[in-house]
Amino acid sequence: MKNRMLRSTLVMMLSLAVMTACTTNGGNQPENGQNDPPQPPQPTETNTNTGEVGDEVTLRYAVWDANQANGLRVMADEFEAANAGIKIDIEVVGWSDYWTMLEAGATGGSLPDVFWMHSNEIYRYASNGMLMNLNTYIESSDQVDLSKFPQGIVDIYNFQGNQYGVPKDFDTIGLWYNKTLFDEAGVGYPDESWTWDDLYDAAKALTKDGVYGILAPLHNQEGYYNFVYQNGGTIITDDKQSGYDDPKTIEALEYYVRFVREGLSPEVYGDAERAEAIQNGLAAMGFFGSWNLSGFTANNFMAEHFDVAVLPKQERQASIYNGLAHAIAHNTEHPEEAWTFTEYLGSKEGQERHAELGIAISAYEGAADLWVSSNDTFNVKAFVDMVAYGVIRPYSNTTIVWEDRAYESLRAAFTGDVDVEEAASNAASAMNQILAEE
Amino acid sequence: MGIASKAAKAAAYLFLITGAALMIIPLLWMLLTSFKTVAESTSMNPFVFFPSVWRVDNYTRVLNQNHFSAYYVNTFLMMFFRILCSLLFSAMAAYAFARLQFPGRNFLFGIVLFQMMVPTQIFIIPQYLMVDALGMRNSIFALVFPGFVSAFGTFLLRQFFLGLPRELEEASKLDGCNIGQTFLLVMLPLTRSGLVALGIFTALFAYKDMMWPLIINTSAQSATLASALAKIQSAISVNYPELMAASVLAFWPMLLVYIVFQKQFVEGIASSGGKL
Amino acid sequence: MAGYKRIRVPRNTWNMWLWGWFLVAPTMLGLLILNIIPIFQTLYLSLFKSGAFGRGNQYVGIGNYERLIADAQVWHAVANTLLYTVLVVPLSVALAMIIAVLLNGKVKGTSIFRTIYFIPMIAAPAAVTMVWRWLYNPQFGLINYVLTQLGLDPVRWTTDPQVGLISISLIGIWSIFGYNMVLLLASLQEIPRDFYEASDIDGASKMQQFFIVTVPLVTPTLFFVFVTTIIQSMQVFDVIYMMIDVTNPAYERTVSLVYLFYNNSFRYMDKGYGSAIVVLLLVLIMIITYFQLKAEKKWVNYM
Repeated sequence: MKNRMLRSTLVMMLSLAVMTACTTNGGNQPENGQNDPPQPPQPTETNTNTGEVGDEVTLRYAVWDANQANGLRVMADEFEAANAGIKIDIEVVGWSDYWTMLEAGATGGSLPDVFWMHSNEIYRYASNGMLMNLNTYIESSDQVDLSKFPQGIVDIYNFQGNQYGVPKDFDTIGLWYNKTLFDEAGVGYPDESWTWDDLYDAAKALTKDGVYGILAPLHNQEGYYNFVYQNGGTIITDDKQSGYDDPKTIEALEYYVRFVREGLSPEVYGDAERAEAIQNGLAAMGFFGSWNLSGFTANNFMAEHFDVAVLPKQERQASIYNGLAHAIAHNTEHPEEAWTFTEYLGSKEGQERHAELGIAISAYEGAADLWVSSNDTFNVKAFVDMVAYGVIRPYSNTTIVWEDRAYESLRAAFTGDVDVEEAASNAASAMNQILAEE
Repeated sequence: MGIASKAAKAAAYLFLITGAALMIIPLLWMLLTSFKTVAESTSMNPFVFFPSVWRVDNYTRVLNQNHFSAYYVNTFLMMFFRILCSLLFSAMAAYAFARLQFPGRNFLFGIVLFQMMVPTQIFIIPQYLMVDALGMRNSIFALVFPGFVSAFGTFLLRQFFLGLPRELEEASKLDGCNIGQTFLLVMLPLTRSGLVALGIFTALFAYKDMMWPLIINTSAQSATLASALAKIQSAISVNYPELMAASVLAFWPMLLVYIVFQKQFVEGIASSGGKL
Repeated sequence: MAGYKRIRVPRNTWNMWLWGWFLVAPTMLGLLILNIIPIFQTLYLSLFKSGAFGRGNQYVGIGNYERLIADAQVWHAVANTLLYTVLVVPLSVALAMIIAVLLNGKVKGTSIFRTIYFIPMIAAPAAVTMVWRWLYNPQFGLINYVLTQLGLDPVRWTTDPQVGLISISLIGIWSIFGYNMVLLLASLQEIPRDFYEASDIDGASKMQQFFIVTVPLVTPTLFFVFVTTIIQSMQVFDVIYMMIDVTNPAYERTVSLVYLFYNNSFRYMDKGYGSAIVVLLLVLIMIITYFQLKAEKKWVNYM
């Protein structure tokens, strides 16, 4: 039956095509090139992205973290209720596709009205005029006060004196540890007094019965960058040179890689593998950023056994920290409305709501405390405490390119194929080559 | 039946069954994992093959946090229109390439082949700009867009047309059919299995297309199964039982479609084979 | 068209031309807009050092190609891509052919087998990667569990540089097998029964029948299968992209040309260089396809 249906549909459509051809041509004289282009099927879903119904304006708000989308939706609903005539359409696209989408939008002149910006990408977008200059808006606003945000984060989004983003949140890296395993091994929990030696001893004591003491993955932000700065080393100098050949940096890398080479840490590389290892109890300690919090809280195993503390220190205390900002497209059709929304997101009220809902650590002064009380599963205060000595995630105009080059060089040190010093010097020269072309 | 042929038959079955087992194990594993708790899924000592209780929690959680009904509808409509377009236009072009002589034929067919050689990733941004210029992001139209015509389908059906005996056309010419009638009434019905095969492949390629829907249809309700799955993966990271539950939810409609079409497929082949 | 008018074309031939043009018009028009124009843009872009967002492109002539020739990673990717193709195509086609012939015989449960063999085709790419990554997991994966039960050493499926590409190829064979089989089965079933009956009378053995009757008659489909699976394999991307990060020690030994193109164009935003990589891939595929088309006349048997 279905068989026949398929066939008759096809035959019908084709006869139609042929008949038109025959009739228009009369005596077998079809005129080439006059047939219509393929007829697109009618869209069956209404297209809402630029929709304006009456006086209502719909703003496209693009984000990359699906875990924050629910909380942001709550905020958007409250904003809509308070601002009649503005609707917020949240679009979630995962991290790597997010930038492809934004790139396409920027090239075609259809960026979302309001969207998240990151330190890796701000230079490209700001220097090419893709973002709206917020200076005059901020000056005349009684709600957004940049002095209430950490200066380091404000600066990331400032290009040649113009502010292109209002800070949204910040993140730091914490030391996650398995309380149960610590208790069993009789090792005291990590705290702010911990040094590198304490970390190493604990890792050693905890490595047994198929469980590794620590997870030291080949990862920069949630891995060796922290140790480099704790040791007084650097990744990128102020005059845009690689810091990988700095002896302090190499020393930190040697310390870090030792965990893997001595079998205190599994050899773990990919992001998924890292998360698998910690969430499945393969390692007793690990370094993970504050943005993992909602995932870890939802994971029964993590919630039951794990807690988080500040990172250990060597020469000094340090944790890599970074922050996102809200940016507005340079050519948005609704600059006033987009600003109203961005202003709300960056206001004391909005930032406090953002914290209360546990979306992420609000960047606004004092709001972080509300975020701390939004989570009673873990000692999340550690993340906020680390801001005092946080080091902004190293960045320049081509961050991703040299980060990947550095990974390619450092891989060999983690597998033990070359020693750390050589790998680091390879990383330095690869990185300097990229920086020279910036 | 001799012993030798019995042994051969047994060997054939053994081969088929082993192969089938290898094919299906990953998917059975997906199904089993989707009913487990995280602890069960990662337990090594003892290794857990079957969940202790067949719980559906993973499914309810995934269903509650997503809009699967919208994904089903979007995916279905995308497949439907892509199949329609590719069958119609490809059959027309394929017949011309296989059987008609006309100036530029080889050159144009060269373009068809050439298109297949190009990785689809290079079309993403140009096609995005086109859809965007039409103001059609987040729509079914956008999902169908790259599949209005199919170089693959043209090539596939050309091979089927080439496999048909020439005598049939000569006969229909003698009966007074013009080229269009010959194509439509005589040749097209004979390539039914090819059309069904193309229908299946078009549906599959559409269903598996992940990057295009991710980028063009960004609003929550306009995702397809494949792009939604990629989003779910980035959201819940490594909770394998939930990821597998989401995969199963994306998987079963296609299995159903295939089972339905398979019958068609076989029937179509049987009837056209008889006529020759 | 004007050029042809001067030559006296018989009415019938003219008629056939018009039908030909008419029938291919929608497809060609669609391909032109959707694909051909973007391809030429890519070719054009490969001569530029790309500025951001399609602006400020700087003409560098063959600069990107010079860089490409000196780039060891590109040649690794060429080797990986070719090796992947060599691992996946012959094996998956041969296996598919055997299974298709078996299923075309009088085997009980044909439709169940056919469904099972086709199932991997239906899994969405994200689902395929998820389930395989889980199977390949060095600590919690089913495969390593079975290996250790058998007294063998566990394997680092996705991070061992020696093994990575084989792991990826296994997924490739697993995913593409159903596609080959369906096509070959369709073509086998088109073979009229009388052909076999005729050869039965001649007293040909099953094996002879396979090579004398079956193989020549499925060559058009076999040809199609080879051309398309080689092209698909040369464009391998999804699975590697989702499974192998740049931090992975197996990266150098698994990265494919499309992955490299993707990273350069969309991650490093170096579209000019990415385009040059695509052009290299295109040239490789064209060379391979050209030889296949050349060989077509030798071994493909059209009625």
